[in-house]
Amino acid sequence: MVAAIDGAGLVEVVWVSLLAGVGVTLTFSLVVLGTGRSAAARREGNERAATAYALIAALAFAVFAVGVVFGVNIMLSKD
Amino acid sequence: MENDLVLWIVVATALAFDFTNGFHDTANAVATSISTRAMAPRVAVSLAATLNFVGAFLSLEVAATVASGIVEADLITPAIVFAGLVGAIAWNLATWYFGLPSSSSHALIGGVVGSAFAAEGTQAVIGAGLIEKVAVPALVAPVLAMLVAGIAVLVAYRIIGRQHPGVVSRGFRFGQIISASLFSLSHGTNDAQKTMGIIALALVAAGHLDAGADPPLWVIVSAATAIAAGTYAGGWRIIRTMGSRIINMNPVQGFAAEGAGSAVILSATHVGFPLSTTHVISGAIMGAGAAQRLSAVRWGIAGNIFAAWVLTLPAAATVGALTYGLVALFGDGAAGPVIVGGALFIGLAWLGVRRTLAGRTLTAER
Repeated sequence: MVAAIDGAGLVEVVWVSLLAGVGVTLTFSLVVLGTGRSAAARREGNERAATAYALIAALAFAVFAVGVVFGVNIMLSKD
Repeated sequence: MENDLVLWIVVATALAFDFTNGFHDTANAVATSISTRAMAPRVAVSLAATLNFVGAFLSLEVAATVASGIVEADLITPAIVFAGLVGAIAWNLATWYFGLPSSSSHALIGGVVGSAFAAEGTQAVIGAGLIEKVAVPALVAPVLAMLVAGIAVLVAYRIIGRQHPGVVSRGFRFGQIISASLFSLSHGTNDAQKTMGIIALALVAAGHLDAGADPPLWVIVSAATAIAAGTYAGGWRIIRTMGSRIINMNPVQGFAAEGAGSAVILSATHVGFPLSTTHVISGAIMGAGAAQRLSAVRWGIAGNIFAAWVLTLPAAATVGALTYGLVALFGDGAAGPVIVGGALFIGLAWLGVRRTLAGRTLTAER
């Protein structure tokens, strides 16, 4: 009966889940951090810092969006 | 003619199960978003219902049955499927009444295992399949989701710790709309397929569909509609348990729980490892709370939920077996499913009317 358990599949689920689950929250946290700090810097008149933080937010959001698209792709291509 | 009557009873019961599956599992997608006020309750369930409906059309990889590899498919008859569905519906309604999130898939598997066992004995049940597809995933899903959500919350707090709380809440509430949508779509692509598989199996058994053929359009549309209608009806008791009784959730925890839950479910889907959405999101919510501090989780409520998970399979199996026994009393024909199905329908309608009248009385008294 124990042979019925797919050990390799289980290990893959664990490490991919850890990587993707923590990665999704990490990238979205960077989006929130970037937009928040960008707005604060703009209020203080520091345009260079505002642009830099906005860029971080945009980049992090792009990575987050790629993750979402990849997730939808997995849903549609399951077998 | 008699076979067709049994077939339509199985189809109607499968759609009734699909409806309970929808309203039972609404909480998985919307509880965290409602709890953190990322979305208004009606908006959240409308979005979830729409995406469940859409999701049902996106993936048509219909398994022969959700219980394939767990019961011997050759021995399955429409009466066994009918009794199994009744067991699953009974467990879904009981856990909904007590506001306990439990797996609809495990309820369906339990119901079919119980009715198959009652009909054919031990030869109908594949023990290794039960361990591989039910026991191991039931242990892995909540623990893994708890771990991933816990680490995710710690990472998020580390990054946004010094930010203004208003900015953080607004940002993560927006993120929750995306993560809740992903969850609902995933639910539609997974759970509506179970009902389509059951109906397709009944159609094959009755000779109306070739084995291995895609289900007809009316099967897809009716399964999608039933799960979406159930989702829209909303299992509010379970939403309350998941959203505010396990932990008092903030938007960061809500997002981390949904993000971790989506990651666990999608990675498991990719590998072909069957995990319960309910087990995953419940574990993720507990992990998100425990990461803040262990006492943030109401472990008494968590214990009740774990107990419901352990009881799901045997309880649904017992009702499935008893229902099959009752159906078999009336012979092999359509009489059993007609009488038991009719009694079930009348009983549920009576309960529905009683609840509606009680609601009206309460409203009038206020």
